[in-house]
Formats: sequence, C-alpha cells, structure tokens
Amino acid sequence: MDRILDTNLPPAARGSLGGAALVALTLMTYTTVEILAQSVTITRAGNAITVRAPGFGFIKGEPLARLKDGRSVRVDLELDVLPGPGGAVAAQGRQTYVLSYDLWEERFAVTQVGAPSRSAAYLTPAAAEAWCLEQLTVPVSALGRLGRELPFWIRLDSRVLAADTAPAQDGGADFSLRGLIDALSRRRKNDALTHSIEAGPFRLSQ
Amino acid sequence: MSTLGLLISLLILPLLPQQAQETDPPDGTRINSAQVSGIELSRLSPGLQEEIGKLAGTPLNRQHLRELAARIETEQPRLIAAVRVSPDPDAGARVVFVVARMRDQEHGANVNIRYAVEDVEIRGVSEHELDPLLRADLQALIGKPLDPEEADRLETRLKDALPDYDVTRRTVRGGQPGRIRLIFDATRAESARWLRFEPLEANAIFHSDQGWGAMLPITMNSRDVHVTPIIAIDNGDDLIEEYSGFGLRFETRKLGTERLGAFFEWNTFDQTWRDATLATLALDPGLARPYRNRMTVTPLVKFAITRQLSIGGGVSITELDPLSEVDFSDSQMANAAIGSLRFSERSKRRDDQRHDVDAAFTVRAGTNALESDLVYERYLGQADYSYRWANHRVLVSGMAGRIEGNAPLFERFSLGDSRTLRGWNKYDIAPAGGDRVLYGSVEYRYRGLAMFLDSGAVWNRDADRRARFSAGLGFNPGPVFFTLGFPLNTDEFRAVFTMGLRFSSSAVGFQKN
Repeated sequence: MDRILDTNLPPAARGSLGGAALVALTLMTYTTVEILAQSVTITRAGNAITVRAPGFGFIKGEPLARLKDGRSVRVDLELDVLPGPGGAVAAQGRQTYVLSYDLWEERFAVTQVGAPSRSAAYLTPAAAEAWCLEQLTVPVSALGRLGRELPFWIRLDSRVLAADTAPAQDGGADFSLRGLIDALSRRRKNDALTHSIEAGPFRLSQ
Repeated sequence: MSTLGLLISLLILPLLPQQAQETDPPDGTRINSAQVSGIELSRLSPGLQEEIGKLAGTPLNRQHLRELAARIETEQPRLIAAVRVSPDPDAGARVVFVVARMRDQEHGANVNIRYAVEDVEIRGVSEHELDPLLRADLQALIGKPLDPEEADRLETRLKDALPDYDVTRRTVRGGQPGRIRLIFDATRAESARWLRFEPLEANAIFHSDQGWGAMLPITMNSRDVHVTPIIAIDNGDDLIEEYSGFGLRFETRKLGTERLGAFFEWNTFDQTWRDATLATLALDPGLARPYRNRMTVTPLVKFAITRQLSIGGGVSITELDPLSEVDFSDSQMANAAIGSLRFSERSKRRDDQRHDVDAAFTVRAGTNALESDLVYERYLGQADYSYRWANHRVLVSGMAGRIEGNAPLFERFSLGDSRTLRGWNKYDIAPAGGDRVLYGSVEYRYRGLAMFLDSGAVWNRDADRRARFSAGLGFNPGPVFFTLGFPLNTDEFRAVFTMGLRFSSSAVGFQKN
C-alpha cells in the first residue's frame, strides 16, 4: 500500500479570496464547506484510492441524538475527484451506510448498504467514521492523467438522513433559554445533515 | 408481523425433531391444498391467483412451485417467498407459499435487534385512551427481539391515533443486561391547547433612521405557566415613544380548567421623545401631553370558547409622570377597561403544507369609572395569515384601528418601523402617531430570502388620509434578519435598512398593542 501525501503546493485553505467567497456563499445556502487540507490524506491500495480525514465527522448533533435513542441513521458518503478547487467531477465513489448505537455496549455499529455488504461493530464514533471512509474508494484508473501528470483535489460529502428531523423555521420561537438554544442549534442540525470538505492538491506517487 | 426471521422459522419447522418422522412428499404426489400465507391472496395478480388455485388436485412439481414463488417475488419486490410442502394424512401433499416482507436493510442493520424488549411504555397519555388493538400490538413487542420496522409502524399508528399530540420514540436500556425498553413520548401539541399565551417579542433592532433598540423578555416557561422578566432598552419599534425600563409578566393558561387563563403584567418605563414628536405635540394642544415615565399594571382573564376562539377582559392601570410641569403638574392616570376577541388556527405540522391564522380585535376604553384622567376609546383589529409549503412561505398581514377621545400617546398608532411600512420612517409619516390606521402587507419568503410589499396610512380624524407604499428585500437566517425597504410613492429616492435579532412567540403577526 503506497501512501500518498500532499504535494508542496499550498493548500487551498490559506486565505484566498476564492476560498472566502466560497465560504460566504455556502454559509448563505446553509451548506458548510470546510477546507481541511491539512488533515486529509490519500492512500492508495492496489487500483483504488481512499481518503483519511479525521476532522470529517458526521456522528454528531441530531443524528447522534437519534442514534443514542436506539434508532438507526443512514449516511450517504461521496468522494469526488476534481481537477481543481470547485471544479467538475472527474471521478467519483459513493457508498451508503447504516449506523446504529449499541445501547448496552455503548459502541457504534456500521453496515455498508448494497453489494458488497460489509459491517463492523464495537466502534467509537471516530472509528466508525474512519471505517466508513475506508470503504469509500475511487479506482485509480478513473483518474486518467490526474494524479500522475496533473495534481487533483478531492471533495468529500456526507448526507445524513434522519427522517424525523423537524423542519427548520424562520423566525418564531420563544425567547426562553430553551428557545435560544433551539434557535442557535438549528444551524448545527443542518450542518450535521449535510457536510462537505474539499482538499488538495494531491499527486499519486510513482 | 412478517419478517425474514418468521420466514426462516417457518421453513425450519419441518426439520424439527417432532416432524422428522414425516417423509417429504416426492414429486408426483397429489396436491390436496395450496395456500399463500403472509399476505392477502388478492394482492397477487389474477393470473397468479388462478395458477395457485389450480394446484390442488395436480401432481406435485417442485420446479413449478419454485417458479410460482419467484413470480410472487417479482410481483411483490419487497416480499420474499418460499415453498413449504408437507404430507397430508391421506398420503397427499399440502403446499404453502410462505411470504414475508424482506427486512429493510436500514432497520435490519440496527445492532439493537439482538436485544429483547423488556417493556413498552407510553408517556404523556393514559394507555386507556388508546384503541385496545393498538395497545395489544404495542404490548406484543415485549419479550421479542427489537423489531425497528414494527416499532416504526406502531409509532405511525400512535401518531394517527393521537392527532393532538407529538409522538416520538426512543429506546433505552432495560433493567437487566441484554434487555431494552421502548418508550413512546406523547406531548400535547400546541395546536391542541385551548388558550395561547399572549404574544411577546424579544428583539434587538437597528433601524437606519431610528437607531438601536431592544426588548428583552426572558421567558421561564412550563406548559401552562410563563413567568417573564422584561427589559427594554431604548425600544422605539412599536410606539412613537422610545422607552427603557423593566417589567414582569405572569401568565397561566390553566386556572382549574384549560379554558380559563389569567394574565398579569407590571412594568415601568422611562421615555425619550424625538424632537419631531415634541414639535408636533407643541403645535397641537388637543393631543395628550408627553410624559417621562409610565408605570402600568394590567390584570386580565381569558376564556376559550373553542380551541380557536377566545375572549379576554380586564383593566390596564397606568400612571404617567409629567415630562415637565408645563404639561401637567401631577401625575396623570390613563386607566382603561380592556376587552378582546382572539382567533388562532394552527395547521398540523405533519402536513407538508401549513396554514396559520391569527386574528384579534381589541377594545380599550379609558373611562372616568376607573378614575382615568384621559377618557378615550381605542379599537384595533389585526389579522395575520401564514402559508408554508416546503421552503416557500407567504405572509399576509392586515390592521385597522381607530381612537376616539383623548388617548395617551402610548395608545396612538404608528407605521414605519421594522415590521410595518418598511422603507418609511415613522417620524417622517406621523411624528406623534395618529388616531386612525389602515395597513396591509404581503411577503414571500423562500428559505431565508424575502420580498415584500407594504401599504398603509396613519392619520388623524380631521386630516386627509395619505396611503403610502413600500417594497423591499429581506434575508432572515433564523432569528436574525436584514431588511432593505424602499418607499414607493415619493419623489425622494431613499432606502431604509433594518437588521437585528427577533424571537417571536407568535408564528405570524406584528406585536402592536
């Protein structure tokens, strides 16, 4: 297994105007894009690449509360390979998982939906998230010239489907402590439902 | 309950020891009967029903039975079918197509299905209020491994059975290792309550013409009682005066019965007056005089006629301290009897579309009978309608008011603030307010983005009425709002910008008294 590290190109997060505009735009559309290039690494295993992103968490907020209530939560993960920041998708990998929380073991279990069906249990939240990412691959052959001759970027999206999430309201709430907490945490709920990071540039080592 | 587990157990039955002595009927054995178990036969196509019906009396052909089972699965993709053949005492064969629902991967992947349900509890309602069949189905979960799919179905049935409640489900550890408890929490929905709490808005608002102001009620609430300390800091958004001070509101919507409620508020506010207001008052000695402090006590009783319609009555005792001895040397009393009629309708949240309506008509009468120095009558009708569908929302508001007699300045109407005639400044329209008001507004929102058209007039009874219009855009991410309004029927091109934080206890409506 080859380990591929960032090239010496500067990460996108370092304060470009484009990055700031992207953050502002995505804040306005209730989608969080975090630039966490420093914490994202790409690993090559045979003809596939996988991503490690310890800062990319989706077991939090409303989905976590649902899990702690003994219910299952469905998570869609998508790994896009891009020729540049915010560019068109050159290659893509997708997986769907079902998470649950063992009420007695106090650990998480994950099942990959579809074929091949895989599962893992007795995991901490971080380990469950990492396991999901490990199953998410993109074939190296799908990258074409990217990686060898040209640098590439990756975008990682998570979408958590919690069916009983209350619809967001635009306004009405008591100004009680509970109302204030609800209002301020409403944004966090949305963050947890759709989460995205973009990182790069990367190159495949020979 | 039909699950994969049930299917497997049914298929295993013939292999159990007590069945072991029976021989498996060979192909060619006469079929005595053919049945489908697990679903209604009528859910299959007529052709398939006919073919299964024709099996009786024919020689057993397992390949044909497997093909029929495959056709059942083709017609019902969420079902799985298997064939069970057992010998009959008369040397014939009995055929059963065992059909079960395929366990949803999402539910089947829940790690807690290995734990047995120890108890099922319904909180918030008496179990006797439930249909016995539903109660029995809930209790039937006990002793079996958790079946999330069945629990979901029962939760849906509970929601349907309790339309006035919000029902949620959670699973917790049981009393013994490996056991779990299912808890269904039923909370009375707000729409099912007889009385609503009086609307009270918390805000911190910047108006480009009027500056900053804030109203900070901090509600400590239970389901039936609100206790609310109120702090006002330079608040000038709802009246023609700017006021700072504090108060305390107590409200209960259950006095022995949910139809009867009580309201009590005490507050004391110091006033700041705009130069334009003072100048207008100086020119019109017929108007009530400004004051430097007003202290008010308001006890009210409310009664719900229906869940939508309520009436209220009480008094408002207000003491006004003079701004200067020229105006009035001693304090003035503005004591009024209050009567109100309120209509409130909230559609169910479960529906994708929501219609909310609030309407109120209030009469306040300052009278000598209450030892009021200011004698007047004030009538105000307000109606607000909100339609919400997915991320779209339409708000329609209307207001009409009239004052007769010598009303105190805090009773006078004004338009041109952060909620009404956005784009106009109320101190330009009517610096001392008016004793007549007419107002309407339409607003469309998509997610947090808004566009609006406001129109209205505020005037005095002996003056001409001038209608004003404004339009603009807004952005409302949660409780934060930004609004840019433009006056329309004026030669002057100008814009009014407002921004701030707003928490409203009412889904719709402005908060003018």
